[in-house]
Amino acid sequence: MTRLPRPAIRLVLPFLAVVIFAGLLAFSLVRMTRVESDMRVDAEQNMLWVMHQAASAARRVTETTLRAELGEAEPAEIALRLDILRSRVALLNAGPQRRFVERIGLGKELDRLTDTLAEIAPMVEDPGDGRLAELRAALAPFPPFFARAANKTMIAEWDDLGARLGTYRAELQTTIVALIGILAAGGVLAATLVVALRDSRHRNRMLRQARDFSGLLIASSGEGIAAVDRTGRCTLWNGAMADMVGRPAEHAVGRPLNEVSGFFAVTAIRDGIARALAGENARFRLQPLFRNQDDTPLHVDLRLFPMRDETGIVGAIAFMHDASDRHAAERKDAENRARLEQLVAERTRKLDDALRRERSAADLYRNFAAMISHQFRTPLAVADSALQRLIRRAGRADTREVGERAARARDAIAGLTRLVDSTLDAARIETGQMDARRERCDLAAMLHDIREQQRAAAPDAQIEITTSGDTVALCDPAHAEQVLKNLVANAVTYGAPGSPITVALSDHGDTLRCDISNIGPGIADAERARIFERNVRGTNSVGKPGTGVGLFIGRTLARMQGGDIALLTGDGTTTFRLSLPRPTEATP
Amino acid sequence: MRNRWAAGLAVILLTAPHGAAGDGDAILRITGNVTGGAVAFDLDDLHDLPRVTLETSTVVTDGIHRFTGVLMRDLLAGVEADGDTVTATALNDYAVDIPVADFRDYDVIVAYAMDGTPLDRADKGPLWIVYPRDDHTALQDIRYDYRWVWQLARLDIR
Repeated sequence: MTRLPRPAIRLVLPFLAVVIFAGLLAFSLVRMTRVESDMRVDAEQNMLWVMHQAASAARRVTETTLRAELGEAEPAEIALRLDILRSRVALLNAGPQRRFVERIGLGKELDRLTDTLAEIAPMVEDPGDGRLAELRAALAPFPPFFARAANKTMIAEWDDLGARLGTYRAELQTTIVALIGILAAGGVLAATLVVALRDSRHRNRMLRQARDFSGLLIASSGEGIAAVDRTGRCTLWNGAMADMVGRPAEHAVGRPLNEVSGFFAVTAIRDGIARALAGENARFRLQPLFRNQDDTPLHVDLRLFPMRDETGIVGAIAFMHDASDRHAAERKDAENRARLEQLVAERTRKLDDALRRERSAADLYRNFAAMISHQFRTPLAVADSALQRLIRRAGRADTREVGERAARARDAIAGLTRLVDSTLDAARIETGQMDARRERCDLAAMLHDIREQQRAAAPDAQIEITTSGDTVALCDPAHAEQVLKNLVANAVTYGAPGSPITVALSDHGDTLRCDISNIGPGIADAERARIFERNVRGTNSVGKPGTGVGLFIGRTLARMQGGDIALLTGDGTTTFRLSLPRPTEATP
Repeated sequence: MRNRWAAGLAVILLTAPHGAAGDGDAILRITGNVTGGAVAFDLDDLHDLPRVTLETSTVVTDGIHRFTGVLMRDLLAGVEADGDTVTATALNDYAVDIPVADFRDYDVIVAYAMDGTPLDRADKGPLWIVYPRDDHTALQDIRYDYRWVWQLARLDIR
């Protein structure tokens, strides 16, 4: 068994009442319209008056004729009175009047009288004495006929009236019954309306209470709550929201959110609102919210949800939570972590450094041993052979020869000493024990000294020094001299025999360049990259004395002073460029 | 237009002997508040006025008839009638008071012919006041029906 749902049952009664109401109303309307039109048509018949007028006209013709017989009236007057009578008869013979006469059964008699009238009409043209009496005699039946007709008319009209009134009464009675029905249906409708009104009022009250409660919840919520309609205009803005954003509700409600605060105009947030209006939830964490340009921003969590009713999406609601504390805590955590990581990295680096130093010390000793076996052997052999010769020729050698051989031995030993010094320098540099002073020194003067020394060692070497601009650099003179000496000596050693060495000093604003070039086989491409590393010697250095640390020391010393050494190779020439900073105006 | 024929009528009235205009017998007399206190019309005078045709049914005949005549308001304007009520009297002394407003509100005519035939004194003639009954529901009323005076002989303006 199926049961109608409650609301449907409640609709049946008013619906029935409306149907009955409308039906009865239509019924009474039809009835009343019929009565109205009936009254309009029937009221126009007034046959009693017609009969009376006709009787009166007939009597006046007779009377006028009589007066004419007495000589008191003109024939024209008779003609007029006769015309009036004829007019009445013509009226009675026309449409509705004729039908009425037939109804009261006087049709044939009227026809006879009409014929009589047609016969007597010419008599008026020539009214002699005898003719007037004849005329009067012919007119005699008219007055009694109209009197009888009036009598019958009265009875017929009253019968009609009675019947019509009876019909009207019957119509009105049914109409009254219908009206009572209408009244009853109206009563039912009104009662239903009252009940519905009471229900609606009750529901409204409940709804209002629920709304007030929601309003209270929203207003007292610690979370900022805002709602927008489908077009993005704000419809709700609670106190917490006003505090967070710094805009009161009266500024916000009715305006698009992106006009209320720049926070809502940010692309991501705007997209989020659009997504919520399209039916998707959106969530944003720790968004910066600037209340004023200068303030530190709040950091808020924002959640956006679509609002729906049975027709679809009607807007969106936003919940905003002030998460500044959490943000601060998270940032502090991140900072701590970063500091810790930095500390660890620092420690690791220190340990790495220590390890590297340890390793380089070990390398140094190992290299030193290798170098000694490799580099020390030749000078030692030179010194040994010179000394052996001296011993063998002990008595025969003259002073000059002794001096010469001793000098050779000493040179060899001096070379060994330099070798040891260089190696130790490299070690000191590596272990960070060397530091540099900074002072103004004239590299041109320094180069001339170096050239003098070089000439003493290798008299054949041609060294050309050119300068342009200022030749003062800011550097440690001892280190600079060592570097230059090393580079010049390299150029001499590896240059083609007899070829010139050029040294060019040039001033380039904040740096001073010293290009030292020679002509010779140069350095193989594969070795260029490693030429400045420690203990690396080029393949062109085979058979030539050297430690393999000169360029390493040179570059390290140059860099310690804010400069550098670079290798430039041209066509058949090899150039090492030393750059050193130039003193600024403020430097003493 | 009306002014022109009204002026013409005035000329006729001035040149004709007082109270007997035209050559024929006077069929309509207008008395009361009019030019000179009384004006008489014969059929030719009425034919000289602008002709109006009206189709309507009547309560005393069957079917619809075409009436020809002159507008009552033209007629009254031509004699400079000034009043609120017109007492129309028939040959048989039937008299009825008609408010002048009727002639302003409706195109009421004084007909001298029905369906092209001149009205006869032995019928409804020579003149019949005809209301445009079919054009106005308000006129389909017993209180208007008694104003349809036939065998019209006199109009008295008050």
